[in-house]
Amino acid sequence: MSTSKNTVAPTSKVEDCAAMTHDKHGQPVGTNDKAESLTELGQRNVAPFLAKYNPRQHGTARSEDGTPVPRPANAGYCYRHQPDSKCRRQADEQSKRQIQQELDTLPQDDQQGIAHVWSLFSAAPAKQRKLMLQGVLAQCCFPQLSFISASVRELIRIDFLSALPPELSFKILRYLDTGSLCRAAQVSHRWKMLADDDVVWHRMCEQHIRRKCNKCGWGLPLLDRKRLREAKREIELRASNWGNESSGEPTQGAPNGTCSVVELPNTGSKRKVDTSTDDQDDGCAMIKRHCVSPAYRPEPDDEYYKTRYRPWKDVYRDRFVVGLNWKHRRCSIKTFRGHTDSVMCLQFEDNILMTGSYDATIKIWDMETGEELRTLRGHSAGVRCLQFDDTKLITGSLDRSIRVWNWRTGECISRYNGHSDAVIALHFDSTLLASASVDHTVKVWNFKDKSTFVLQHPAAVNAVKIDTPSRTVLTACDDGAARLWDLDTKECLRTFKNHIGPVQQVIPLPREIELGDDLADCENDHSGEGPVDIISPLLKHANLASPTSAFGSTFEQDKDRREPPQYVITSGIDATIRLWETNSGRCLRTFFGHLEGIWALSGDTLRIASGGSDRMVKIWDPRLPSCQETYEGHSAAVNCIGLSDSRFITGSDDYHVRMYDFRA
Amino acid sequence: MANITLTSSDGVDVTVERTVADRSVLIKNMLEDLGETGESIPIPNVNEAVLKKVIEWCDHHKNDPPSAGDDDDNRRKTTDIDEWDQKFMQVDQEMLFEVILAANYLDIKALLDVGCKTVANMIKGKSPEEIRKTFNIQNDFTPEEEDQIRRENEWAEDR
Repeated sequence: MSTSKNTVAPTSKVEDCAAMTHDKHGQPVGTNDKAESLTELGQRNVAPFLAKYNPRQHGTARSEDGTPVPRPANAGYCYRHQPDSKCRRQADEQSKRQIQQELDTLPQDDQQGIAHVWSLFSAAPAKQRKLMLQGVLAQCCFPQLSFISASVRELIRIDFLSALPPELSFKILRYLDTGSLCRAAQVSHRWKMLADDDVVWHRMCEQHIRRKCNKCGWGLPLLDRKRLREAKREIELRASNWGNESSGEPTQGAPNGTCSVVELPNTGSKRKVDTSTDDQDDGCAMIKRHCVSPAYRPEPDDEYYKTRYRPWKDVYRDRFVVGLNWKHRRCSIKTFRGHTDSVMCLQFEDNILMTGSYDATIKIWDMETGEELRTLRGHSAGVRCLQFDDTKLITGSLDRSIRVWNWRTGECISRYNGHSDAVIALHFDSTLLASASVDHTVKVWNFKDKSTFVLQHPAAVNAVKIDTPSRTVLTACDDGAARLWDLDTKECLRTFKNHIGPVQQVIPLPREIELGDDLADCENDHSGEGPVDIISPLLKHANLASPTSAFGSTFEQDKDRREPPQYVITSGIDATIRLWETNSGRCLRTFFGHLEGIWALSGDTLRIASGGSDRMVKIWDPRLPSCQETYEGHSAAVNCIGLSDSRFITGSDDYHVRMYDFRA
Repeated sequence: MANITLTSSDGVDVTVERTVADRSVLIKNMLEDLGETGESIPIPNVNEAVLKKVIEWCDHHKNDPPSAGDDDDNRRKTTDIDEWDQKFMQVDQEMLFEVILAANYLDIKALLDVGCKTVANMIKGKSPEEIRKTFNIQNDFTPEEEDQIRRENEWAEDR
C-alpha cells in the first residue's frame, strides 16, 4: 500500500484513506464534496448493511412478505463472545468517554463518517468484521501498526478464572502457593469464591501436611492422612459440579462452608497409640471431614454427632501458622517441676504427659494446666524407659524389672524379671514388647502366646524399636553399632556401624518421608564394614531387574510383610547423628552440631529433634546437613525428648521437664 | 501412518499425521471407534488459528511417552514448564485462553497442564492489584470488604 511510504502527520493519512475510498467509488475528491458524499454513501451503503445485519436496531427486520428474516443469533460474535456470555469483552466507560471526546473535536461531517465506519463494523458478522480488519490493516503504515500492536496488548486481557469453566479455574489455582492463593482471594468476589474453595484447599492440605512439599520446600504439621483421603473423592466430585451448584448469580462466600465437617476434639479417644514418633496428631487437630450435599443425609453414626462445618482453608491456616511458628521460633515454654532426680524418659499423647526419673517414680501430667495428676511408685531404682497407650503403661528400671501399670488407676498390674541387669529401653506394639538391657540382650516378649526370645548383643543395649509391618526390630548398642533384626528368623539383617563409641538411640524415620534425590551420594563414609558395600550395587541392579527384596526372600514371599523402613537415624556419645539407608546399609549423612553425647532423639516426617549432655536441643531437617535451630534452657544434660507436630518436650538432669509449644 | 483431515470451526481443513492427531484423546478415540474413513473430522469448537497452534504443540510432542495419567501424583506437581513449551505459550491472552479451552475439549492433558501452569505463573507472586491489572479485573469489593479480606488472608504472608 502506498501509505507505507507516507511520512506526513497521521491526520493527513486519515484523509488519504478516505480519499482512497472515494476513489474506489468514483467520487470526486474535494473538501466540499466530501461531506455530501459521506452522507450519501451512508444512505446508499451503510443503511442497507445495517438493516441486513442489525435488524432489531433499525426496525427493518421483515422481508417483503412480512415474515421475520431468519438470521443467525448474534452472528456478529464468535462462539465465545456471544453477548450473553460472561466473558464478552466490553470497552470500559473511561475509554468510551475518551473516544467520544476526541470525536467531538472533529468537524461534524468527519464525525458522521467515522460513526458510519464504526456502525458498519459493529453490525457486521464475524467473517465480514475480519475482512474489514484485514482491509484496515492492509492500509496501515508502521506507526499505525505499532499503535495497534501496543493497544492490542493492553486490550487482550482476560479474566481467566471467571471465563474458564470452574474445573479449569481450580486446576490453575491448584498450581499456586499459599501466599499467591491468599492474594488471589483478594482480587474480586468471583476470585475469592474460587480461591477460597475447599476444592483448592483440600489439595493444599494433601500436598503439605505431614511432609515436605517439593514445590515450596517445607511442610505443614501433621494432619490425619486417612481423613484427608476420606474427603478426597467428595472434593473431586465437588470440583466437577461446582459450576452447576453456583453458576448464575454467585452466592457469595457461601459455597465454602457447606461442604466440610469437623469433629470436635474427642476427649474419650479410643485411638491406638502407635510408636512415640509416628501417628501423633495432637488433640486440637482431630478433624473429621465429610462433604454433605443437601440430598445426602449422614448415617446416624456417633462421629457425626460431634461435627460442625469448617472450611479446609481454615484447617490449612491453623497448620500453616504452626509451621511458621516453628520457622520463626515462636513458642510458649512451660516447665514441669516435681521430680527429685534426673528425668530419663517421657512420652506424651493428646493432653497427657508421662515422665520417668532416677527418683524411681513415674509422674503423669496434664499438659494444658501443668498439673501433676498422679505419681506412680513401685520401682526400687531409677526409671529408665516408659511407654503408654490408652489403657496401660509399661516401665523399665535400673532395678532390672519391667512393670505394667493401669495408669488411669495407678495400680501396678504385673511385673517381669527377665533381665539380669538394668532395663534401659523398651518398646511395645500390638502383641510384642521388646526390652533392652545392660545385660547385653534384647528380650522380645509375646503377650499373646507368652513366649519370649533373646537377641544377644556384644555389649549393653541402649535403645530398641519394633517395626510391626516388617516384623523387624532396631537396636542400638554400646559396641558402636545399631542393628536391624528379623523377628521371624532372629537374625541380624543389617549392622549400621560408623559411630565412634556407644550408640545411644536408634529410630526409624516414618515410611512416608520423602528425602528425595538430594541425599543420594551426598556422603559415602561407610567404614567398609564388610559385605554391604560390595552387595549394594548388585542389589540395585537386582532391584531394577525384578522386585527382589534386599532383605531376603521372606520379604517378597509374604504379602503381609513390608520392607523395613527405608531410613533410620542414630545418635551416639560421639556427639553425632547419623542417617542410614536400611536397604544398602549405607550412612547417608552425618549431622554435626552437638558438642557432647546425644542421649535424646526423636523424628517425624518434618524434622529431627535431638538433645544431649551439652544441655542443648537441636532441630534438624533430615534433608539438610546443618542444624536448623538450637534451643537452650536446661541447666544440665537433656536425657529424653518427645516430638509432635506442634510441640517438643524434654527431660533433663536438672530434674525439670520443659515443653516448647508452637501452636498458635 | 496415514494422514487425517480435521475441519476447524471456521471451515478450514487441516491435514495432520495420525500420530500427531493421536495426542488428542478425543480424536484418538473417535478414530478408533469409527475407523479411518478418510472423511475429515469436524472440530466445531476450535477455529483455524487455534487448531494450528494446538497441532504445532502436538507435532512437537508426538514422540513423548504417554503420561502416567494419574492426577494423583500431585507430589511432583510444580509450575515448571520446559523451555520449548514456555516459548510456545508466549502468545496473547486470547490465544492462551483458546488453547486451554481447545486442550480441554480435545482432551490433551499435557497441553492443558502447560496452559494452566502458564496462567498460574501469571498469578504467582503478584499483589491483588497487580493481578487485577494483569487480567483486567474490576475490583468489586467495597473498601470495608477489601480491608477485611486482606486481614483474613494476612496469615499467609511469611513474617
